[in-house]
Amino acid sequence: MKPLHALERKLLLSLIRNGGGLLEDVASRVNMSMDQARRAVEWLRSKEMIKIEEKVHHKIEILEEGKRAIEQGLPERRLIEILKKLNGEAKLDELSKALNSTPQEFSAAFGYARSKGWISTSSIEGKVIVKLLKSDQSTLEESLLKEISEKGLFFEELSEEDKKVVNELMKRPNYLMKKPIKIVNISLTELGRKTAETIKEVKEIDYLTPDLIISGKWRQRRLRSLDVEAVAPTIYPGKKHPVQLFIDEVREAFISLGFEEILGPIIQPAFWNFDALFVPQDHPARDMQDTFYVSKVKEPSISSPSLIEKVSRTHTNGWNTGSKGWGYNWVLDEAKRLVLRTHTTAVTVKYLADHKVSEAKVFSVDKVFRNEKLDPKHLAELHQIEGIVVGKRVTLRDLMGILSEFYKILGLKKVKFWPTYFPYTEPSLQSIVHVEGFGWMELCGMGIFRPEVTLPLGVKNPVLAWGGGLERIIMARLRIDDIRELYENNLGWLRKVPLCL
Amino acid sequence: MPVITLYYDKLKSLIKGELSTKDLIDKIPYLGVTLEEATDDYVKIEYNPNRPDFSTIYGIARSLNGILGFERGAPNYAINEGEVEIIVDESTQHVRPFIVSLVARGITLNDELIQEIISMQEDLHEGIGRRRRKMSIGIHNFDVLKPPIKYTTVHPDFKFIPLGEKEEMSMKEILEKTDVGREYGHIVSSFDRYPLIMDSLDHVLSFPPIINGELTRLTPETKNLLIEITATDLKADEDSLAIIAAALSDIGAKIESVKIRLGNSAKITPDMSLQQMEVDRKLANDLLGLRLNDEEIHESLERSRISVASKDGKLTALIPRYRVDILHQVDLVEEIAYGYGFEKLTPTLPEFKKAGKYHDDLKLIGLARDAMIGLGCIEVMNYHLISEKALYEFTRRKAKTIVKVENPKSIEYEFLRDNIFPSLLIVLSKNLHEEYPQRIFEISKVYSKDLRTPNGIREDYHLATAVSHSTANYTEVKSILSSLLLQTFNLSINTIPTNHPSFTSGRVAEIISAKNKLGIIGEIHPLVLENFKLRNPVSVFEVNLSKVIDMVKQKAL
Repeated sequence: MKPLHALERKLLLSLIRNGGGLLEDVASRVNMSMDQARRAVEWLRSKEMIKIEEKVHHKIEILEEGKRAIEQGLPERRLIEILKKLNGEAKLDELSKALNSTPQEFSAAFGYARSKGWISTSSIEGKVIVKLLKSDQSTLEESLLKEISEKGLFFEELSEEDKKVVNELMKRPNYLMKKPIKIVNISLTELGRKTAETIKEVKEIDYLTPDLIISGKWRQRRLRSLDVEAVAPTIYPGKKHPVQLFIDEVREAFISLGFEEILGPIIQPAFWNFDALFVPQDHPARDMQDTFYVSKVKEPSISSPSLIEKVSRTHTNGWNTGSKGWGYNWVLDEAKRLVLRTHTTAVTVKYLADHKVSEAKVFSVDKVFRNEKLDPKHLAELHQIEGIVVGKRVTLRDLMGILSEFYKILGLKKVKFWPTYFPYTEPSLQSIVHVEGFGWMELCGMGIFRPEVTLPLGVKNPVLAWGGGLERIIMARLRIDDIRELYENNLGWLRKVPLCL
Repeated sequence: MPVITLYYDKLKSLIKGELSTKDLIDKIPYLGVTLEEATDDYVKIEYNPNRPDFSTIYGIARSLNGILGFERGAPNYAINEGEVEIIVDESTQHVRPFIVSLVARGITLNDELIQEIISMQEDLHEGIGRRRRKMSIGIHNFDVLKPPIKYTTVHPDFKFIPLGEKEEMSMKEILEKTDVGREYGHIVSSFDRYPLIMDSLDHVLSFPPIINGELTRLTPETKNLLIEITATDLKADEDSLAIIAAALSDIGAKIESVKIRLGNSAKITPDMSLQQMEVDRKLANDLLGLRLNDEEIHESLERSRISVASKDGKLTALIPRYRVDILHQVDLVEEIAYGYGFEKLTPTLPEFKKAGKYHDDLKLIGLARDAMIGLGCIEVMNYHLISEKALYEFTRRKAKTIVKVENPKSIEYEFLRDNIFPSLLIVLSKNLHEEYPQRIFEISKVYSKDLRTPNGIREDYHLATAVSHSTANYTEVKSILSSLLLQTFNLSINTIPTNHPSFTSGRVAEIISAKNKLGIIGEIHPLVLENFKLRNPVSVFEVNLSKVIDMVKQKAL
């Protein structure tokens, strides 16, 4: 047997406790809407657990004159009340006047009163005299009218005697009418009775408790049905910041390509951020306008005297690198100024100097600083992606291939390359990638480190390098127009933004 | 980066072959420039500072003709010997020591051409000139002058009519009252005498690097020009003149040299001779990943407007003087790539033999982050730069180990934070209307003075957590802290009562593990809550993750 719906169970239980009856009555007893009751009745009927009888009954309704009679009394009642006031006897024309009604009403009232034997008539000196005989307390007609007006009765439910009275009353114009109405009467079948009895034994509970489970008493209980469609309270889980999430995605891309992660200080002497990268000391990028300088705490030790000497001479005349150099006088103090690194390349170059590798693949995804006023397109603190490959036979075309592969892992399948310029790479390329739902965007710049950079560090093999901003890809993925939103830390946004960027 | 507008009509008139506008636009990026904007009439391009010769449409057309194959090799710029002399006074030598010059004859100036020349001048001032400090250019109507020209210095009270004025002004007044004076005056204002260029009749050509005299103003009637460039750097001086000489030649002018005399020595400018540099063919093929033969290398360089001399099996590049960016053979390698065509380079993928490896510290930091997420906290990311107010004043702390930037654009971002929790309080204060409970954390570097480090500044990773709701308390954050350190790093901790101005006394403790001071934990003081306009209690801990990492690594040893 199919399990019973909560509504069905409720209805069955009520029918066995309180008996059947009209649908309306049953529904109100179990506190269901008529709609719920009709549904439950229909299901139970199809399971043959209840019987439905439908018949037409007539509801007695009171019309206008009937209402007047209820308020003021039947016309014959009014007539004898007046007669009482006239000391039980009056001339016909006087009585008619006192009743204050139309001749037709008067004659009807007079007729009913006489037929009921309440009055008699005699003739004295050619005038008709009306005499009060008896004054009944209340007639059946009157009490029935009152009952109808108070309760509303069905004709079919009346006694034979009452039926006659109603029929009599109906003869009076505009008193009563019989209105046909469909009646649904429900009652239990045998199957229904048996089923209801089994239900009766199960008690409904709200929660399963350890006690119920251990004792096995849950078998005698029924867990109340829940509204499984109802909205549940929101839970906010702990979560990574979307930027960190993407940083980790990029780190994983590097790892999968066999790169090793490096890490270094954010505060750097200008030497590592600029000079070691062959950026001349009067280069606009070194202006206070673009780079944050940190107040000195002490005279920083920047590198070995021999490396400082090599870098100095490379700037001035190219040293042994085969370059002409920039042709100016390099100043040590300028190289000792502390900056908030403007690129992670400062860390990369220090790595090369420390390890003098002939082969390496290293990367970092970390914070860099630019002295910018914050606006929808600019941040002063952002993240840079950076990778290098050192090898005897690595080429510019390899660099293009590695970048294409790197982008592919990040879901960026279309990439184009163009020549460009960076002070510390030659040749240099710019790449643009296609982001689904966004369009083309400029991403990583790349190139082969100039010999003016690598030879003073003691690195002889070519170094392929690329780097680019991280935030713009996240913005495109999250459809954010204002870069500042990434670091607003609006909890509403952090809680709702999906992890699958 | 500088931007130049190229009208298709003009550009096509300079291109020595047939080309559709679309093909033209497609080719332009392969010059190493960026398309900024393309309309029906023009493109705007951004060019890189290493190519100041792209500051005119003539320079762009010169290179385009090369990579399109319409012209090859170094352009030939003939310099006629001129008669003009500039006599340099010794007094200029400690102010602005260098001057070079040329005369350009037979130009038909019009407003468009004047505009192009001025635009080139401004770009050169910005770039090579480093905002006129290193180099500045004066362009004059030659026909109103009486050579020889004198380059000298005068007292700041010296008067002349500067360009755009009707009355004489003293040089001092010019620095104080004119826009250019105020902008560039700092370059000369510290000297007792200011540089000045006059003709033999003492008519003023210019007050470098500030302003020209009104006398030599260019008009559409001007036919012959005198260019003078003063500088504090000889290379910048000569490079700029070469670029201008090439552009004026391309416009159609005849260039005449000028003799510069200083005492007994003299030199003739401009010098447009080709620079020689040997081509390293192996380097080119190695770096580009190509196998070009000598002929292909030769042709590629010629398409980059560099001539090639072949002798005894050696290739020598002959580089035009206006190419000021070629310092090393790798620069020639790039020129070969330009001539060959970057669009023809296809990607190759080298073999990757080694496995990748995360940095050990960041791996451990990642574990801490995962644990915090598991403990139900949301990660936030704040700037490392913060205001003094939020960092010290609002948290009632004494500014002990300040690390600050010298040149912030706003006082909101002036100090490098030594602790993360003030930032977390800012985050909570910005989220008053978001649902509670609020549990947030951040992992980031913090900065403190430490003279033992090479820079005197120590950088440590910290992890800070803040919990805020109507019943947030010490016990809740202590549970989180203990769980984090024990479950993630196998470190048990003690919390020893302490005092801290940011926390309620009696509800604040120092975090200690195996005698190492790892940080602070407690309930934020109501005064601090008020300072940050917070309405719910906040409890916080902050641990030095770098110290935790050190402990973990030592244990592993």
